[in-house]
Amino acid sequence: MEIQIKLYGSSKMLSENETLHVELPENSNIGQLRNSLKKLINEKYPKNNLNNLSNSAAFFSEKNEIINDNYKLKNKELISIIPPIGGG
Amino acid sequence: MSIHIALVKTEGQKISVESAKKFIYSSDHGAESIFVGRVRNENSGKKVTAVTYDAHDQAVIKSFQLICNDAKNKFNNNAKIFLEHAKGYASVGEISILIAVGSGHRDEAFKICRYILEEVKHQSPIWKKEHYEDGKEEWLPGHSLRPKKEVK
Repeated sequence: MEIQIKLYGSSKMLSENETLHVELPENSNIGQLRNSLKKLINEKYPKNNLNNLSNSAAFFSEKNEIINDNYKLKNKELISIIPPIGGG
Repeated sequence: MSIHIALVKTEGQKISVESAKKFIYSSDHGAESIFVGRVRNENSGKKVTAVTYDAHDQAVIKSFQLICNDAKNKFNNNAKIFLEHAKGYASVGEISILIAVGSGHRDEAFKICRYILEEVKHQSPIWKKEHYEDGKEEWLPGHSLRPKKEVK
């Protein structure tokens, strides 16, 4: 199945587009998405200081609520990746 | 209306201290506290020329509303609060965040202002990318919103 991730903050280094498309096995959850992201970062962006992103980021559902690692993703679902924040 | 919140796009708009002062003014209030955060020209020994602020707009507005409501409930329900944060490219000296509070007495005005600033830093999905004099740029580290029990 395919998931779309809206990119924010440092995660924007993962793509020139606003969203990143990730292919995952059916019935994957956020924990599995983290593993896929970790692999992607290690393979494609080893020098971009993104090593810890897959572990430190939160994810928001389309309702802008934090979703935990057990959250089951749906095909074509759009979620947001929320790297560690620091406004002000 | 006692709370004003906004994300201000830096292209074409400016955060205004005068607007904040007008908003919080009330003859019932004996105190006004105003915090202005600006883009600084240095960070950790690097010469900064500008900062780009990224934000998850809907979640930021939701968090601002919650934070301001909490602040009023915690310190003074009659306070007036103005909270704006920049989004986009801001050069050194430009305002990044403005918090203005009008209330009956100084103690709660100071406390509300400080409370809002700290909570925005820990709750509102906003990110900073610094631009340096040597042409390099860097996203700054921050506070993780991932549930603590999950972090390895």
